[in-house]
Amino acid sequence: MEPALIKSRALKLIHDPTMTIGLFLALLLGGVTILGGWLVPHDPFQINMNNRLQGTSFDHWFGTDQLGRDVFSRIIYGAKLTIGLGVFAIMIAVVIGVPIGLFSGFIGGRVDAFLMRIVDGILSFPDFILAIAIAGMLGPNLTNLIIAIVLVRWIVYARVVRGLVLAEKEKEYVLVSKVSFSSAFKTIRMHLIPQILPDIIVMAAIDVGKVILLISAFSYIGLGAQPPIPEWGAMLNEGRSYFQVVPSLMIYPGLAIMLTVLCCNLLGDGLKNYFDIRKRRG
Amino acid sequence: MSLVIEGLSKQYTKSIQALKHISLTVSDGESIGIVGESGSGKSTLARILLGLEPYKEGSVTYKGKLIVPKNRSSLRAYRKSVQMIFQDSTSTLNPKLPIWKSLLEPLDNYKEFSPSFLEQGLTKLEKAEKLLEIVGLDKEMFSRYPVELSGGQKQRVSIARAISLEPSLLVCDEPTASLDMTIQVQILQLLKELQRKTNMTILFISHDIRAVAYLCERMIVLKEGLMVDEFKMADIYHSDRHPYTKALIKAASID
Amino acid sequence: MVKSSLISIQDLRITSQSAEKVLISNVNLEIGKGEIVGLIGESGSGKSLTARAVMRLLPPDMKVSGKIFYKGTDVLAVNPKEHRHLLGSGIGMIFQDYRGSFTPFIKIGNQMIETIRTHYKMTKNEAKSIALTVLEEMGLESKRVYDSYSFQLSGGQVQRAAIAMSLALKPDLIICDEMTTALDVMSGERVLDYIDQIRNKTGCSVLMITHDLALAYKRTDRMYVMNQGEIVEEGLPEQIRCHHKHPYTKKLCSCLLALPAKKSIQKKRAYSV
Repeated sequence: MEPALIKSRALKLIHDPTMTIGLFLALLLGGVTILGGWLVPHDPFQINMNNRLQGTSFDHWFGTDQLGRDVFSRIIYGAKLTIGLGVFAIMIAVVIGVPIGLFSGFIGGRVDAFLMRIVDGILSFPDFILAIAIAGMLGPNLTNLIIAIVLVRWIVYARVVRGLVLAEKEKEYVLVSKVSFSSAFKTIRMHLIPQILPDIIVMAAIDVGKVILLISAFSYIGLGAQPPIPEWGAMLNEGRSYFQVVPSLMIYPGLAIMLTVLCCNLLGDGLKNYFDIRKRRG
Repeated sequence: MSLVIEGLSKQYTKSIQALKHISLTVSDGESIGIVGESGSGKSTLARILLGLEPYKEGSVTYKGKLIVPKNRSSLRAYRKSVQMIFQDSTSTLNPKLPIWKSLLEPLDNYKEFSPSFLEQGLTKLEKAEKLLEIVGLDKEMFSRYPVELSGGQKQRVSIARAISLEPSLLVCDEPTASLDMTIQVQILQLLKELQRKTNMTILFISHDIRAVAYLCERMIVLKEGLMVDEFKMADIYHSDRHPYTKALIKAASID
Repeated sequence: MVKSSLISIQDLRITSQSAEKVLISNVNLEIGKGEIVGLIGESGSGKSLTARAVMRLLPPDMKVSGKIFYKGTDVLAVNPKEHRHLLGSGIGMIFQDYRGSFTPFIKIGNQMIETIRTHYKMTKNEAKSIALTVLEEMGLESKRVYDSYSFQLSGGQVQRAAIAMSLALKPDLIICDEMTTALDVMSGERVLDYIDQIRNKTGCSVLMITHDLALAYKRTDRMYVMNQGEIVEEGLPEQIRCHHKHPYTKKLCSCLLALPAKKSIQKKRAYSV
């Protein structure tokens, strides 16, 4: 793509305030997630019983927790877990769900019927309950939590992609592609993926927010990250007993979760507008 | 005789029969018009000829070879020599791809083949430019997107794509139906000129008798899956014409 | 040649405010009583916009200026309620997309009764008998069509039912916007034949908007040729066909394909390109 074109598209992208705020937050949170380990002023695992339950000070911006650990450092460090794992889980779900949806929709027939019955079966359970069941069965830790989340999320992608493909494959250019003897794989790559990609990106952006909530919720009820891991949901759980004395122990992790989910939703909406405009212009 | 259809029938469901015992021979370099209204089975016929649709009764042979839709290796050779142009030029081009990508898709699938009108060793973009020139488009157009082109221009791109493999049979399914009158004639002229140059066989499916009369030497008339009439263009006013054909002619004549 | 004019469009000009573009300008058009007038143009020529301006069916961001006199009243100057009163029963419009003429959820007969009763005060039974009569006039099996939903009928039948519905209101003018484009050739012919018949019977005028020059030659008394928002030529079909003056008309006529001429067929196929 020519530089001028990239520039004009980039300008259009940040023209939308939703998008601008979303992008700003995403850059901030992304930076924190990646650089978290280097940014922390204190060791997030360092226990110091003499210094417990302190309020905000110059040394401890968000104060310290019941074991004297620096809350600010723990939140920064925890971004890697909460956000990183959320993004990771969605990536895996997309990687599994999208190809299955593509082939199921494109090939159709019995393959499609078989795959979609599995999907229907899983979809008939509420995903939160199903994830609790899976995580409960596998045992409470972060890895099993991610497995549980991927297992319930991939079907959503498979289902959506299949629907999009079914609509798209009736278009004549897919038929033309067949007439010019492109393989199924090539037709999918050339004609279907570019069509469904925007929808998947938008969906994934919003989904990351949902999954982060899910991870935190699971950690809060003790099925995800276990202490002393500074995952935000687990921190909420740990701070619960001291809520009346030092409410900041719950407020800061809660704010962090809220900000992240907000960022995902803004980003998703912004991208949706952006792609819609492009769709309308062709 | 290049294309031979014998006793071809196609049944979709028990009550819907799309084609009933169609028999037709088309020789090399001929242009033949297939006239019929919606539901006459003309599009089904086109899809069968392209090997896109299975059929049970009858046979379709091209240059002595039977066309079997499920056999991928025999289809590969066949598809190279048979291409199709569709009615709606807007939906035959992927809106997300620049013109040159759509244009070169067929050539890309037959890498071992190099058409006579392209010199050896051309880059992809040069090939696209050359193809655009053949159908009378500005060669700068290769980098544009379908939305930036008019209906007639898009149809020209579709034609360029279809002839890029130098097919010996070109099936046109209502290629001018959604175009303005002035553009319609230009497209017909282009098809006619391409046929003169390459001597390919053209199967022109249309509901527009006037367009068929302009392009074709022979015409068959389909009605509800049956071939009710077949005649040379010179015999168009012959008294043997089927009543349905006569009615169509009356509707199409200007005076 | 216009004896008593039914509708007269004077200096019609439509501009799009959002795109700041003049869509049509200087359109002058007149239709006499009982006349069938063709308005010919290619896509984007503004022929449909002209008709929509009469019916006030334009999107709100389009600005209309000029005058449209219908039976001596400027329809652009009156308020929407009067406009509806003036044109509601007087002008019927038939569109290309026949599927949109009837709601798929209500039987055609009931829709007709409702339409008739919004314009004329009468009982259901009276309205029903009118509906059945006009359906019959359009060559339909009136009872069956009356009791059908629109999706149960073929395109030609729905289009004829749509005409029947506008006929039921005893219009003075029927505007047909690409009426036959979406239909098969033979059903299109049938629809046009019926239009001719009812015109002879009721003496209403017809404005035939079409891109099909051949259709206009055969079916109209007089025609206007429109290009890029302006009317470039006006005349009898014979004049337009053989003695056109404007280069665009010439181009259009040269693009009209013809069937082989009956006599010269033995010698050479004749095209008019």
